[in-house]
Amino acid sequence: MQTQNTDTYFTGIVYKKVLGHYDVQHNNKIINCSLSAKLWKDFSTIELPGNSGRRVTQVSEKHMDPIAIGDHVQFIKTDDGSGMIMDLFPRKNYIARSSAKPMPGAHAFEQVIAANIDQVIPVFAAADPEPKWHMLDRYLVAAESYGIPSRIVITKFDLVKTTPAECKLNTWIELYQSIGYHVIVTSAKTFEGLENLRQILVDQHSVLVGKSGVGKTSLLNALEPGLGLHVKAVNQSTGKGRHTTSHLEMFPLQCGGALIDTPGVREFGIYGLESTDVAAFFPEMAPLLGQCKFGLSCSHDEEPGCAVRQAVMNGEISPYRYQSYLRMKDDL
Amino acid sequence: MRTYQKDINADFICKHCGNFVTTHSQISGVVNRNHCPYCLHSRHVDLYHPGDRLCACKALMKPVGLTFKRIRDKYKPDNHGELMLVHRCNNCGDLSINRIAADDDPGMIRAALMNIVKDQPELLWACKINGIRLLEEKGHRHLVQSRLFGRPAELQVEAAVL
Repeated sequence: MQTQNTDTYFTGIVYKKVLGHYDVQHNNKIINCSLSAKLWKDFSTIELPGNSGRRVTQVSEKHMDPIAIGDHVQFIKTDDGSGMIMDLFPRKNYIARSSAKPMPGAHAFEQVIAANIDQVIPVFAAADPEPKWHMLDRYLVAAESYGIPSRIVITKFDLVKTTPAECKLNTWIELYQSIGYHVIVTSAKTFEGLENLRQILVDQHSVLVGKSGVGKTSLLNALEPGLGLHVKAVNQSTGKGRHTTSHLEMFPLQCGGALIDTPGVREFGIYGLESTDVAAFFPEMAPLLGQCKFGLSCSHDEEPGCAVRQAVMNGEISPYRYQSYLRMKDDL
Repeated sequence: MRTYQKDINADFICKHCGNFVTTHSQISGVVNRNHCPYCLHSRHVDLYHPGDRLCACKALMKPVGLTFKRIRDKYKPDNHGELMLVHRCNNCGDLSINRIAADDDPGMIRAALMNIVKDQPELLWACKINGIRLLEEKGHRHLVQSRLFGRPAELQVEAAVL
């Protein structure tokens, strides 16, 4: 059993997380830490009224994995040079998703992806795998709901350049730009657009999110050539990624700031959002809320006199975005 | 794995007549069922392509007539394509043509041919703009009859003799 040689507490930022072990950066040094039993107990128990002590009743939702990348933590050093996280400082913000359900009808938990971040960067491939724009809308709505700005990055542009698919892609890019999102087209192969991307990353803590195989880690390798992170091509048979990156890690950038690389996900459920609130996180729909015949009670689906539906019919809102809204509303 | 996709082909209850409508393709014979087989009323749900369900109008669509789908095979014996229903949106006035499903009431389809309102110049104008040629009761009754109920018995006998 490890014994602590001092009671001195240090503070640091969680940079990496693998199976219950956390790499915490303190004074430009990485210290491998584990979670103290006391902290784990504090997170996994709840106080019951009328009982003298604390007892485990259920594992609370947000405490399935209490530490996220980017968290500011307090830790102590142990004899073997490792550390033990003793406390977690309040978060400035965080982004989370709903965990995958083991079976239909099961309860989904909140999975915090990253904390204390300045921007979310949804990454999509121009081709191979084909971009899923409804999934992009999910990322954007999730980021809006947590109050974090987002910027869209399209990778593998070299695959569609000077092909008919480029025209189709440009239509989508123009759509998101017209809504107000910043879209950057890049290619890790030809280094196209990397300077534009670097400019928005300066002095920012950013998190890359996206499907497996879209090129998140390749983008990071292109931005920081010394990293040499492991990447694989998508499966040619299925056209899907191979889940090469399997853990969360934050990488400091030479230009300042840091970039969090995440494992690719095939689904992204929005957690903690009511179906009645979804429209508020679509920037083009938000100004119309309250203008419907049924006011704020309108779900913008079947109701007569709906201002949002009218805007879709007038061409002010994209029908694809409206369909994304309906899907999200029905899922929540 | 959950796909987060709405089942766009879910069974529904007709907003016009209140009947339950199943969308199973094995029953209806079509992939995108959006009109009621009993009253033939539809909903304005498709925007660019059949089954895309991108239209936000969602209003009722009334059957206003019948037409034949255009075919490229000019050497086909009767030179007519598939018999289609013409719907008009009650809200925005858009026209669309829909495939007739296997379980559609043939009597109602025949009634759609007979009940064409000829005194609506704006409807005829809209059809012309959209390239839809509405069938007329006088000229196309036998053709529609044969499409719906098969060839008349006497013609079948003649064909067998030949």
